Amino acid sequence: MLISRIFKVIAVSCLWLLLGCSLSYGTDTDIACLKSIKESLVDTHHYLNSWKFENVTEGSICAFLGVECWHPNENRVLNIRLADLGLKGRFPLGLANCTSITGIDLSSNELFGSIPQNISEIVVFATSLDLSSNNFSGEIPSSLANCSFLNVLELDHNQLTGHIPGQIGFLNRLKTFSVSNNRLSGRIPSSFNSSIFTKESFANNPGLCGKPLSPCV
Amino acid sequence: MEREAGVSLTAQWMILVVFILLFSRISANMEGDALRNLRVNLQDPNNVLQSWDPTLVNPCTWIHVTCNIDNSVVRVDLGNAALSGQLVPQVGQLKNLQYLELYGNNISGPIPSDLGNLKNLVSLDLFLNSFSGPIPDTLGKLTKLRFLRLNNNRLSGSIPMSLTKITALQVLDLSNNHLTGPVPDNGSFSLFTPISFVNNLGLCGPVTGKPCPGSPPFAPPPPYIPPSTNSYNVGKAENCQDIGGRKHPN
Repeated sequence: MLISRIFKVIAVSCLWLLLGCSLSYGTDTDIACLKSIKESLVDTHHYLNSWKFENVTEGSICAFLGVECWHPNENRVLNIRLADLGLKGRFPLGLANCTSITGIDLSSNELFGSIPQNISEIVVFATSLDLSSNNFSGEIPSSLANCSFLNVLELDHNQLTGHIPGQIGFLNRLKTFSVSNNRLSGRIPSSFNSSIFTKESFANNPGLCGKPLSPCV
Repeated sequence: MEREAGVSLTAQWMILVVFILLFSRISANMEGDALRNLRVNLQDPNNVLQSWDPTLVNPCTWIHVTCNIDNSVVRVDLGNAALSGQLVPQVGQLKNLQYLELYGNNISGPIPSDLGNLKNLVSLDLFLNSFSGPIPDTLGKLTKLRFLRLNNNRLSGSIPMSLTKITALQVLDLSNNHLTGPVPDNGSFSLFTPISFVNNLGLCGPVTGKPCPGSPPFAPPPPYIPPSTNSYNVGKAENCQDIGGRKHPN
């Protein structure tokens, strides 16, 4: 059992090192990522007009509205902050091509549809995910539990339904969490027992019960 | 009696004024001296430091140097300037320095521990150089530091735990070095993912996928494929050769 686990770790490390050595066109993918985001969203107020792709040079995407890069002069996206821009559309799947992204803030827009079931494959290294104040519907994907680097997870003020996946309560870096003001139901899983999970984190979900809210009947 | 008192009061004021003038000249010169020292220890084939005239009263008119309203240096911007040589410890005397931008050069030698004296530093960018030796643990004293980018050098030794106490830290990049030992994930390091540590063969701990010697194995994190651009290829090749010859732990 132990040996197979050790073998798994070595195997993944080998894969990781080999991939690290191989040629990849990472920064081109960041350009593709931003292009895809712009194309997939309706930008009624034309805030994304500064996102120009005709003459891209090293570091030019770093000056785009809402884009923060890892380094000046290198097209590698660290954070995207597009809050309160009147953007309409579904969750931009093109984010998967921003392979070094850690912070995503799409709050206070008019995004709809469901949060992708495979979100942990799209934003693998997310440390902060803010999708609050949109029109997202459907269930909270349980794969969020695989986003092990999440410090901030804000899904409040949407139309999310169903139960809260229990594994999400085990994310050990989580500092800020909110699913308030949705249409979630069922018992809050017992895994949500650390002090960061307050009444406010779950408030205004009429069908939700259990600690820290009132007991289920 | 009164006249004597009057004369000595004037004399006192004059001494005070002279002292203030002298002091301000000295401190401005101290910053100019520190930068002059920096220049002397760098090779500058493109003459980017040509305007650095030490006979001026302060360095505030020098190109690539920015001062505040009190004529104290707040920025040194020498990124991508083809500089080589070493970074002198006297840079630690620029007490109001906020931005030290020396990236994309060929500066070698150690990172001076005196940089820990730069109490107002917000950005330390030494990436894409040839710095060697350890990351000084004195950098943990830089409480206002937001950007610490030391990637793509030849830094060795372990990551100082003191860095986890810097609550202002937002962007950390230690990738592409020769660092060893455990990667913290507490304090400010809770924000940092494998991306910040990739291509350092000796690092261990949950963030890296390699258990530290003596610890139990754990579930590996997702693999990170770093992007490859021309400017990064030199460092990459070294690491690939390292991989070829290296034995795996356990």
